[in-house]
Amino acid sequence: MIWFVFIAFLGGASVSLSRQINGRLSLSTSAMHSSFWNHFVGLGLLTLMALAFGGLFTPQIADIPLWAYLGGTVGVVFIALSSWLVARIGAAQTALLIIAGQMISGVVLDILRDAPGSPLARAFGVAMILAGMWLSQSKR
Amino acid sequence: MSHTSLPLILAFGAGCLLSLMVLFNGTLATHGTLLFASWVPHATGTLVALVFLAVLRPAKANASRPPLWAYAGGLVGAFTVMATSYTMNTALALSGTIAIGLAGQMVFSLVADARGMFGLPQKWPAAKDWGALALIIAGSLILIFFGGAA
Repeated sequence: MIWFVFIAFLGGASVSLSRQINGRLSLSTSAMHSSFWNHFVGLGLLTLMALAFGGLFTPQIADIPLWAYLGGTVGVVFIALSSWLVARIGAAQTALLIIAGQMISGVVLDILRDAPGSPLARAFGVAMILAGMWLSQSKR
Repeated sequence: MSHTSLPLILAFGAGCLLSLMVLFNGTLATHGTLLFASWVPHATGTLVALVFLAVLRPAKANASRPPLWAYAGGLVGAFTVMATSYTMNTALALSGTIAIGLAGQMVFSLVADARGMFGLPQKWPAAKDWGALALIIAGSLILIFFGGAA
């Protein structure tokens, strides 16, 4: 169990690590260049893995709705924004505000998609996050 | 609205994009393999970034050559996918993976800020920033474990 916790912790830390590295690249180039290299280098590694292990294209992929292919486009804007932000407001602020946006939009998506969840817990969680965002913007 | 709230709005917006990205790529993963669900967004993302670069022509910030490791962000990102898809299928499940991942993100970014790691500016949170951190993480944990956010 402690091993799983350790790997999950590393998984989270690696999110901040890659943001920090991409942020450094954006300082020498631009946020969009940084996003390009992030995707291009990742594509190279994943292509090598596909060549080594196979399993890239399976028959089931014919059933995928077309909109699901938009993830890469969204990802490019996401990485460019995070590279720009981390070099300006710092890693902790960037991480915290992205988490706030992800959590609140997640609640909105869940409600739109009729996913199960306690309305009271949702209201309480969203209120705490909004209060945190307000506090982070306050003068002192 | 003051100009100082621009980073807040952009970061919050980026978080909303992340939710969409998880939905899109997660849908790829329910039909295809994990490798497919990671390869496709990287391939389309590479092409889309090239189009953005050609259209926007963003100026390079300075002429100095970045260190070679600055190009390694994509390799670390691939590790993220492997680590989280591994722990998602253990006793931790998705909620545990996200919750512990939040801790990993915050601890690493605080250390990175404190030391100005990887050539980015050094900073340390003010008292109110710690309050904001506590509120946002506590609210997130409530959503993850009771609000169905996982």
